[in-house]
Amino acid sequence: MALLEVRNLVKTFGTKTVLDGVTFDLEEGQTKVIMGPSGCGKSTLLRCLNRLEEPTSGSVRFDGKEMTAPTADVRALRQLIGFVFQNFALYRHLTVLDNVTLALRQLKKMPAALAEERALHELARMDMAEKRDAYPASLSGGQSQRVAIARALAMEPRVLFFDEPTSALDPVMAREVVTLINRLYLENVTILCVTHDLYLAQYISDSIIFLDQGKVRAEDKAENLLSGHADPVIASFFGRKS
Amino acid sequence: MSFAQILQSLVAGLGYTVLVTLLCAATALVVALAIIAARRLGGKAAGNALDALVYVLRGIPVLVLLFMVFFGLPALGLDIPPLAAMMLSLGAVSGAYLSEIFRGSLQAVSQAEILAAQASGFTPFQSFRLIELPQMIRLSVPGMVNELTSVMKYSPFAYTVGIPEITKQAMALTSTTMQSLQIYTAVGLLYFGLYRAILLAVAYVERHFAIPGFAEE
Ligand SMILES: Nc1ncnc2c1ncn2[C@@H]1O[C@H](COP(=O)(O)OP(=O)(O)OP(=O)(O)O)[C@@H](O)[C@H]1O
Ligand SMILES: [Mg+2]
Repeated sequence: MALLEVRNLVKTFGTKTVLDGVTFDLEEGQTKVIMGPSGCGKSTLLRCLNRLEEPTSGSVRFDGKEMTAPTADVRALRQLIGFVFQNFALYRHLTVLDNVTLALRQLKKMPAALAEERALHELARMDMAEKRDAYPASLSGGQSQRVAIARALAMEPRVLFFDEPTSALDPVMAREVVTLINRLYLENVTILCVTHDLYLAQYISDSIIFLDQGKVRAEDKAENLLSGHADPVIASFFGRKS
Repeated sequence: MSFAQILQSLVAGLGYTVLVTLLCAATALVVALAIIAARRLGGKAAGNALDALVYVLRGIPVLVLLFMVFFGLPALGLDIPPLAAMMLSLGAVSGAYLSEIFRGSLQAVSQAEILAAQASGFTPFQSFRLIELPQMIRLSVPGMVNELTSVMKYSPFAYTVGIPEITKQAMALTSTTMQSLQIYTAVGLLYFGLYRAILLAVAYVERHFAIPGFAEE
């Protein structure tokens, strides 16, 4: 049984069908990258999986439990999924350390000292421990994203979701962040990552899900998708990019 | 009477002015926080009801509301002490204004942060309390200072319900000494001093809670 089993997921906004029967699995320890043209539904897919958006129909099983059921404990599910956003979304009134400890203290009810210890461990993993007392406004984009990743990791999630983690960063900072995500990949952290960044996709993916008009058009290893794919849509998507 | 003597006899009233101002400001804060929390966490119906309440409170002159509470409610068998009447009128009206200031600041809190809080499993109440409220309060400081000074400037209404604050003392003094000019100059100076004290206190608190780079964009 896969950690995450998505079956026939449909999401419509009014008359617009954004996800049109998405099906895939994500095994524990596996990393999958979701790519596809702008507006094809990648962010919506991630948001449906942790019910930030309500799926219209279909099934999402997380660790064997049906997550679209009305009785599903959505907030418990969300605590098992670390979510990292394109725009970092650090709490700007809190220090780096407090950004990471907040959910530990408030949701996991961890004593302050223990939460701090956990947070510093994750910050160190992201090379950000020395910035523990800084406020988000003083951080560069790359540093902010590393703190956001530490914040997600501190909750010891079963899976990390990334929504374009590098696209708000300049190339140098993006590389820095790719290196750190790659480190997580090598440590077998389970990851589902939406990105337009081919460099990131190649360095972290066990396979790439190619999403087009709300449907999974292909799922394959990076090397098979990236060069000269038989499907003209896929070939031209990657042809344009590389 | 010398000017120093005048000031001295007014100082007794200063205590009441400060008391009325602080109690009404505290009431305003509680009212505004309750309104903004109910707006954020309540449904659409609650929002509409609060809109109506705020609209009405902002439309009634403070003095009229004060008289309604102090002279009107006893007719219904509810005796309201003077200070409580001030809080229920000036405090409530100021709370309505303050809630609008809060509403503006709350809209300035980043949606991305609220989404991040939601995604990590916080309840709406936790998100409000831990993320939105602390930022909202900081963004509201200038508006809160305005509202606090405005409460101070409305505090003389307290004399109409028998609270011996500065203005009341001054009126008593003029009727016995006839030195109106000196007395009201002294009153003006005391209010100005109080105003400066409020600004200093706020600056102190603000420095204490300042966050580098916050609200500087
Ligand atoms: N709340 C919403 N209401 C209506 N339409 C929406 C909503 N959210 C997303 N959409 C639409 O759904 C489609 C897919 O959006 P989504 O953000 O998932 O795309 P994406 O693949 O992440 O795009 P990008 O690569 O630009 O980030 C878009 O056409 C968008 O306009
Ligand atoms: Mg997107």
